Amino acid sequence: MDVAYLDYNATAPIRSEVSRAVEPYLRENFANPNSPYRLGQEVRRAVEWAREDVARLVGANNPQEIVFTSSGSEANSAALYGAAWHSLQISGRKKIIVSSVEHDSIREMLPVLSSQGFKIYETQVDSNGLIDCDSLFNAIDEETALVSVMHANNETGVIEPIENIAAYCREKGVLFHSDAVQSAGKIEIKAAAWRVDLLSISGHKLGALKGVGALYVREGVKLFPLISGLQEKRRRGGTENVVGIVSLGEAAKLAFADLSYSSKYLAWQKQIETACLSVEGVTLNGAGAKRLPNTSNFSIEGVDGHSLSIALDLERICVSSGSACAAGLSSPSHVLRAMGLSKNLIKGALRISTGWNTKQEEVSWFIRTFPSAVQKMRSASLVSA
Amino acid sequence: MTQERAVVAMSGGVDSSVAAALLVEQGFETIGVTLQLLPGAPTGFGCCGSPADIADAKAVASRLNISHYVITMDELFEDKVIRPFVESYLRGDTPNPCALCNRFVKFGHLLGLAEAWNAKFLATGHYARVQDGKLYRACDENKDQTYFLYNLGPSELSRLIFPVGELSKPEVRDYARRLGLKTADKPESQEICFIPNRDYRGFVKSHPLSSKIQSALKSGPIKDISGRELGRHQGTVGYTIGQRKGLVSGTPDPKYVVRLDPENQTVIVGEKEETLASLCEVSDMSWSGGRPILEGRAEVRIRHRHMPASSKFLLTESGRVRIHFDSPQRAITPGQSAVLYHGTEVIGGGTIREVLR
Repeated sequence: MDVAYLDYNATAPIRSEVSRAVEPYLRENFANPNSPYRLGQEVRRAVEWAREDVARLVGANNPQEIVFTSSGSEANSAALYGAAWHSLQISGRKKIIVSSVEHDSIREMLPVLSSQGFKIYETQVDSNGLIDCDSLFNAIDEETALVSVMHANNETGVIEPIENIAAYCREKGVLFHSDAVQSAGKIEIKAAAWRVDLLSISGHKLGALKGVGALYVREGVKLFPLISGLQEKRRRGGTENVVGIVSLGEAAKLAFADLSYSSKYLAWQKQIETACLSVEGVTLNGAGAKRLPNTSNFSIEGVDGHSLSIALDLERICVSSGSACAAGLSSPSHVLRAMGLSKNLIKGALRISTGWNTKQEEVSWFIRTFPSAVQKMRSASLVSA
Repeated sequence: MTQERAVVAMSGGVDSSVAAALLVEQGFETIGVTLQLLPGAPTGFGCCGSPADIADAKAVASRLNISHYVITMDELFEDKVIRPFVESYLRGDTPNPCALCNRFVKFGHLLGLAEAWNAKFLATGHYARVQDGKLYRACDENKDQTYFLYNLGPSELSRLIFPVGELSKPEVRDYARRLGLKTADKPESQEICFIPNRDYRGFVKSHPLSSKIQSALKSGPIKDISGRELGRHQGTVGYTIGQRKGLVSGTPDPKYVVRLDPENQTVIVGEKEETLASLCEVSDMSWSGGRPILEGRAEVRIRHRHMPASSKFLLTESGRVRIHFDSPQRAITPGQSAVLYHGTEVIGGGTIREVLR
């Protein structure tokens, strides 16, 4: 074991089957999938197989409901901007409802949409990070174009009741989008059965390559395309990222099969949480909510999570003090703030997340190291503001 | 044998870049850290932790193949450095913020983190030397920074390394060039890192504390020692003892600031001789050896680049140290530090509180 990698919510190692699956597309199968000759047809087949695997992972009715993108962020943009701009052209509805714990890729769009005349309504969460469905439902009106609520939170792993929200939105004739980047491959997703209209996933979190994602677009839902072009049925222009798409298909297939092994993740989660919570002044965030089996987010009293994550890194343990952030800088978590945590508990947050290639020895090494690292941080003569 | 671990504070300047390189050369497991001290990652230049400086530090770390982390300490910096800086100006003093930053931020909090990270040493790019737990002036007398480091006691000094303290600035730049470090020809940083445009008055004025204490920012008279009004000023903040420029025109002899009285919104000026004094009192004394020295002789530096002047000192009952210079010194300034030397060794220092005449 070189390092204990326990930050799968940031990214996952590439699965070996994925590396093997993409090989031909790095070499002889280079053709444009849109070309009519047989070389092109062969590549087209691979893209469509991948579409089927992704469709199965997210519970689509039909593979044609999957649009490949460059990332989860692009899928989110395609959904929000796409739905908003389409609504502007057709229905004129201008209200967009999101939760206060969405990923930054969603949050960064809000001021843009706002400046374009959209009215943004943010629904609050309770102390467990769970969205208040009643106030969300009350906020839905005739002006509402879209509701977007993430499936599972990237920081806490808290699972939102999107099935209820999706059903309500359908009843009211309002589009519902869910960012499922963190839940895909970790828990079951049934986009069609749950009546979700739009759903984003990302490849690299599943063990595919970075640079590929997908958006589930329920049949019949119209979006304004972010990138014009004939590909992906005019829903997303640009020659298909074949290597990325093949990697996503392969990873989706493997992740779908892995869903039946969630007991493995639950066992590690239990080990991790038992060990961390036995250290004084450590609390589990979102403890009262249903959470992903791979994610644990702790607040450690009297400790700065970022400094602690460096201490752990120096012991060859990769964990996160929040969400992975730009330039290695950490900013206070908006998710924990929305849950009403005190400033100090937000500063003291640490996220541990396991995944497809986690080994027991990695979990054990973390469990052995964590208490002494916390102890060292607490006993060091630090200066506080 | 396992390597000893050392943390090096990398500002993104050439001195700390070379400090990091020298640690690597000396065989340490070197961990680079850049402190982000101002909130909201300012896009300006020359501030500790501006994006450009962080990028430079990262580039050097990657060239040296060492780990590098960015740590945000903006709240601590505001609390321990910026607020006292503003308070000092509002009081009519002239602060020495670098000494506070060194004491609380670099050799306070960061040294504590280094300890928590199991590092044996903390290094910075300061020009100073540590030998056997004692602090000495740098070899390059022009660059010596002990004026900002006098707050360090034995428990800190035993864990500090100043790798460039033995070198001159040109040697540091040469070394950086030889290693191909990006920062080799980077210009010197600003006098005060958080006010890159040097507009101290504007900075103090825009600080939230100033809204409560307005008198130091109000215009008022410039008077001579006898109380005769010679002109007007735009607020005592921004003036410093001994200052000549920007005062009054049309007087036969140049005038110098002798004293600031923000409470009465007055700047008092006088002839050059009137800025001279032989006696001052210093508070918040820190002793490099850990134990206070009751009395003795020392060479005392009263501002950066001031030639240390011979004096007697005495620890008074109030805890302050009274310093009596052998010959009168020009512009002894409250808020500035007084640093006591025996030759090149720093024996302690504190903050000048009062000038006695």
